[in-house]
Amino acid sequence: MIAPRVKAPATQSADPIQASPLALQPELLQAFLRLYGTLWSHGELDQTSKEIARIRNARTIDCPICKAIRFSGARREGLSEDVLDRVRDGWEHSDLTARQKAVLRYVDCFLASPVEIGGDLRRELLAHFTPAQLVELAAAVALFMGFSKIAVALGGLPDSIPVHEQPTPICPATS
Amino acid sequence: MSWLPLPAPATGRDPFEQVFGLRENLFEAWRDFSSLFWTRRLVDPRVLELCRLRIAQMLGARYPQSVRTPEAQRAGLREDRIAALASWRTSEAFGKTERACLRFAEQFVLDARGITDADAAAVVAALGDAGTVAFVEALAIFDGFSRFCSSLDIGERA
Repeated sequence: MIAPRVKAPATQSADPIQASPLALQPELLQAFLRLYGTLWSHGELDQTSKEIARIRNARTIDCPICKAIRFSGARREGLSEDVLDRVRDGWEHSDLTARQKAVLRYVDCFLASPVEIGGDLRRELLAHFTPAQLVELAAAVALFMGFSKIAVALGGLPDSIPVHEQPTPICPATS
Repeated sequence: MSWLPLPAPATGRDPFEQVFGLRENLFEAWRDFSSLFWTRRLVDPRVLELCRLRIAQMLGARYPQSVRTPEAQRAGLREDRIAALASWRTSEAFGKTERACLRFAEQFVLDARGITDADAAAVVAALGDAGTVAFVEALAIFDGFSRFCSSLDIGERA
């Protein structure tokens, strides 16, 4: 376990986000939740593609929170744990679909060396997704990676959390 | 310009906005979030700008290297210090807080699990708990959206 780097706010909230250090910046937190809700619930890209990208990122960055969460929208689309078990190193040799493999190839390049995304991968992505969907995918991976790194960098997380389902993020009501 | 097929650009339109604007509601929500670091001055804008540019350098992201944040310029960040950024470890142009934040930012990009307790403690000592949270969230945006620009090949602002 990485030691906590900052003190979480004193609160009785049962909401793990509101009880986390992120609540030390409440305006930022609300704006982030609106952004994340927009990504997940007002997007053009299917939930399954985003969830596969999110899980690949979570396992690469090794964020215990992100690895454990499953969003319900992707489950409703039919994304099973069996499929997610293939979202690991060696996925190239799995029976994931060509569309799913295009997502994973993009995520791996994004995390390792985004300047090296070349012509072959660009053509592969454009064969499966519209330009607007690709912008959403790029923004999604940026946010997934960012959130995972925030969690890791601020520390205080257990080494492992059981896999559990959560509602797909929505935009919080504005006060 | 990006490899994505885009509508014909309006003259002088910012290339990042042109690409991200393909997902307009997402871009607006992103802008609302990412502008808070600067407009609310959650961290010294000169420190933030140095970290933003250093991250863009590390990732070879041309667009974010080509822009300057007005709040940092108004706070007095000069181009000669930006020019020394790639050699911040040996340059005398950077103070203790800037060095602590740049060290943390570089490790954040390379491997967040490699951030040591000492790296983090130096930032917390300089920025406080709430400031550190804002700083780390800003790094996430700088890192993620530098990669966004590199992966979509978004070039310099004219």
